[in-house]
Amino acid sequence: MNEQNGRTLVLALGNDLLGDDGVGLEAARQIAGRVDGSVDVVQTGEAGLALLELMEGYARALLIDSVVTGRYPPGTVLEFQPEDFRRVVAPSPHYAGLPEVMEMARRLQVVFPQEIRILAMEVLNPYEFGIGFSEPVRTSLPRLVQRALQILDEWQNPGSQPDQHRQDSPASQPS
Amino acid sequence: MDESIQTVWNEAQTRANEAYHAQRRRITVDPITRLEGHGKIDIFLNEQGEVERAYFQVPELRGFEVFSLGRPAEDMPQITSRICGVCPTAHHMASTKALDDLYRVEPPSPAKKIRELVYNTFMLEDHALHVYVLGGPDFIVGPDAPPEMRNVLGVIQTVGVDIGKRVITTRRRLREFIAYLGGKVVHPVLGLPGGVAKGIAPEDLPQFQQLAKDALEFALFTLQVFKDVVLKNPAYMDLITSDTYTHRTYYMGLVDEKNRVNFYDGKIRVVSPEGSEYAKFAAQAYLDYIAEHVEPWSYVKFCYLKGVGWKGFTDGRESGIYSVAPLARLNASDGMATPEAQKAYEEFFNAFGQKPVHHTLANHWARVIEMVYAAERINELINDPEITSTNLRVIPTTSPTVGIGVVEAPRGTLFHHYETDEDGILRKVNLIVATQNNSARMAMSVEKAAKGLIHGGEVSEGLLNKVEMAFRAYDPCHACATHSLPGQMPLVLSVYNAQGEVIHQQKR
Repeated sequence: MNEQNGRTLVLALGNDLLGDDGVGLEAARQIAGRVDGSVDVVQTGEAGLALLELMEGYARALLIDSVVTGRYPPGTVLEFQPEDFRRVVAPSPHYAGLPEVMEMARRLQVVFPQEIRILAMEVLNPYEFGIGFSEPVRTSLPRLVQRALQILDEWQNPGSQPDQHRQDSPASQPS
Repeated sequence: MDESIQTVWNEAQTRANEAYHAQRRRITVDPITRLEGHGKIDIFLNEQGEVERAYFQVPELRGFEVFSLGRPAEDMPQITSRICGVCPTAHHMASTKALDDLYRVEPPSPAKKIRELVYNTFMLEDHALHVYVLGGPDFIVGPDAPPEMRNVLGVIQTVGVDIGKRVITTRRRLREFIAYLGGKVVHPVLGLPGGVAKGIAPEDLPQFQQLAKDALEFALFTLQVFKDVVLKNPAYMDLITSDTYTHRTYYMGLVDEKNRVNFYDGKIRVVSPEGSEYAKFAAQAYLDYIAEHVEPWSYVKFCYLKGVGWKGFTDGRESGIYSVAPLARLNASDGMATPEAQKAYEEFFNAFGQKPVHHTLANHWARVIEMVYAAERINELINDPEITSTNLRVIPTTSPTVGIGVVEAPRGTLFHHYETDEDGILRKVNLIVATQNNSARMAMSVEKAAKGLIHGGEVSEGLLNKVEMAFRAYDPCHACATHSLPGQMPLVLSVYNAQGEVIHQQKR
């Protein structure tokens, strides 16, 4: 793919057999019915280099994931910019982290989203097989969906809405 | 000074010194960069600053067996392929073969060829990922390169942008082919008991034949890159053959009727550290040969050969520890079934002047040879007259009881074992994943590397990387592959005393 398609990607990462780990996927299913034709909603269990293939060609991308930082109560919706990950010396163990993937895209002249946002919910237990979410994650799911829709709306109608959710979405600084 | 005060003073001083030294002696490498899953290594130094023990630990996914019980067995190819985002096709195929066995049904020849074609495509794609992205940085960029260079960007810088583009493009095309036959790469829906769900339409064949040609060229090119960058560098060869990265264990791998490497089917062959055949058996007999040892410090079960026995973390003929993955497959076979791969195989063993080759780091070279084999096999299969056949399934009619399936995953032999009631509802599930077969040897590698490379408490970043190299060569996969978000990894720090008891635990 050599051209930018002008479209928006919602990319949910996770595994719905691992309980809370699937929260991004469930959010994506709920988002899918509520966006217009210029948005593609994709769910994947992959990471790392696959992100390059999945995100290629899009103008904008919103990633939705689960995360265990251990520093926020489960259910907290965290919001990141790609720059937040630049300081990570040893990035994600999954092949390559997002900063590496973005840098690869730049060096290999892959057409890549100019704007990338990341929403991640702090989860309780993503290590045990089971279907369904823990209580805090289930309760907070609507907020995750709402925030994602709000970001998409801001992209579609720039400048029309103030960014109200920032205050209850602590932007974590990985260290 | 009053004697009682002196005693208290001395005691306090001793405690402070102990705490300081304990702090100073512990070196933890975490997170293990580029490993699929979170892990940590604990290295314990003695009073002299020499390595006493080193532990390699990973958080395991829990509860898969329990999760599966009570479900219909035919759901397993879909469920197991979702265990992890790294090798879905390997689980899917092992599971599908277990269902063949469960329902006592033999797929028609074209269906087997489709499966093997998809499987080799997956092996090629996954090996390419390791060579260029995961393990490649150690070799292509260099083990002593600064950490900021030892990643895929360093690889691109070393081999050039055009080659980087080629890696990305080839991988994408291979994955698109898997998706054509199996649906989504991550959740394949190809395999059914007794066959496959989809074949290749004759009109689509030419594009895939072209892909196969390009894939072979890519694999041969990768072999050349490896030879140019790694094998022509004496320092690398010294590192590969150094005692630090050498263990004389047994080796296991699937072989065809002529004892040649096969990823999809065959018998499991085990050779001794001296290279003689120790055992050759069908998947169904695996429990007669493989047993599991449990250690108090790890969730991982350590596989060993039942007939030889568990003798601790030690190598040699008397120890039942064995190894799987590319090097083990080459060691456990008599050759490769395709011409270019066979040439590379001979070159490999000639270069080392021995067989088996016991050098862990030779896994990287073996992996490239397997890429050549996978690409050649893809060419054979895609040009097979039967490959567009529509005779793709035999419908099972027998009542199920027990089914066992095995494949060679990129990281080694993978077993799926199911037992059901007469309605095909799961009553027992046992998986032995590739990494588990290697866990004992991997623990030995980490400890030996640490012992060989850390002396007098002196540790440089380069040294630590070389310790990590010891297990990265196995390409271990611990299935926790869904947390892609870069950031701080959860870390539990544990200190053990000589009795193996946890005496201190810290979380961050």
